[in-house]
Amino acid sequence: MFKPPYMAETTKKKRPCWLKRLLIGILVVVLVLAGVYWYVSSEKFSDTKERKAAYTVSAIDFIREFQQSHAAANQKYTDKIITVNGTVSEVEAADTTVNLKFIDTTTGSYAIFAFQQQHLAEAKAIKPGDSVSVKGSCSGGIYSEILGVESISFKRCTLNK
Amino acid sequence: MKKTILILALVTATGSLFAQKKTTTSATVAFDASTAIDNLPKAENKTVIGVIDTKTGAVQFEANVKNFAFSNPTIQEHFNGERWFNSNTFPTFTFKGAIANPSAVNFAKDGSYTANVEGTLTIKGKDQPVKTPATFVVKGGNVTASANFTINLADYGISGAPIDGGKVAKEPKITVNAEFK
Repeated sequence: MFKPPYMAETTKKKRPCWLKRLLIGILVVVLVLAGVYWYVSSEKFSDTKERKAAYTVSAIDFIREFQQSHAAANQKYTDKIITVNGTVSEVEAADTTVNLKFIDTTTGSYAIFAFQQQHLAEAKAIKPGDSVSVKGSCSGGIYSEILGVESISFKRCTLNK
Repeated sequence: MKKTILILALVTATGSLFAQKKTTTSATVAFDASTAIDNLPKAENKTVIGVIDTKTGAVQFEANVKNFAFSNPTIQEHFNGERWFNSNTFPTFTFKGAIANPSAVNFAKDGSYTANVEGTLTIKGKDQPVKTPATFVVKGGNVTASANFTINLADYGISGAPIDGGKVAKEPKITVNAEFK
């Protein structure tokens, strides 16, 4: 049976324009949130070797800076990438890996360096007495009640070649 | 003269071998608050300070909160933030305790021993009791200790949407490994 075009149009249900826009808006928001979540959850700390140090210091001067003014030194260095140059005092076992230590022998205060996963082998090759340049993320200093000295910790470290 | 030096050296060596207090500055503490829907909230601190008194069984640890290394920068920022561990105001986690049954460990004889450690864990300025079995391995005068236990974040005033939503475990697992010398 023949239907004139104007009749066909009247039988077709049309979705309102505002509903279409709302659905598109919701879809865009969901996609943006999923993108942000994916970005944040897949983000990783970059290789410290590729990062630029905010400060380059000598180990003993650095430790003494914390002893002289704990608060000021923490303010200056904490959460920054620092290169520390010095003679290794100790190589200490830390579970399956090792940490490097510079010790100020006059006070016993020290700076200690835990290495980044991909640079663990570098630390294992170091011996006490070696002159090294180590770069890492400074976690600041705490006064150790156990040892009675200043302890300055680093994480995600690597050796400068 | 040579004999005197030899005796002195022997006394020093023996003294350090059987020193009452043994310490470490490289104990490792792992924090694992990962869940089935999020495996990011976990970290390790490899520069924890510890001491064990082999005569009394007293055990103590101090950890610089900021030295917990996460793989994800945002999670590490949250961990140190005011709503979580607030490391700017409370820079250390401390544990002070002792072996509850010291006779279970013979620090003078090489071997592996299991004992209970009890003490107080202080996080964010709040003290909570902790009781955990621990393994002590004595070898050549050195003592290696390890323990696993959980903490309840709510006990330390830590709560929020990620915990309620199951992205962060309410009771993170803590693993301690320390080699005292």
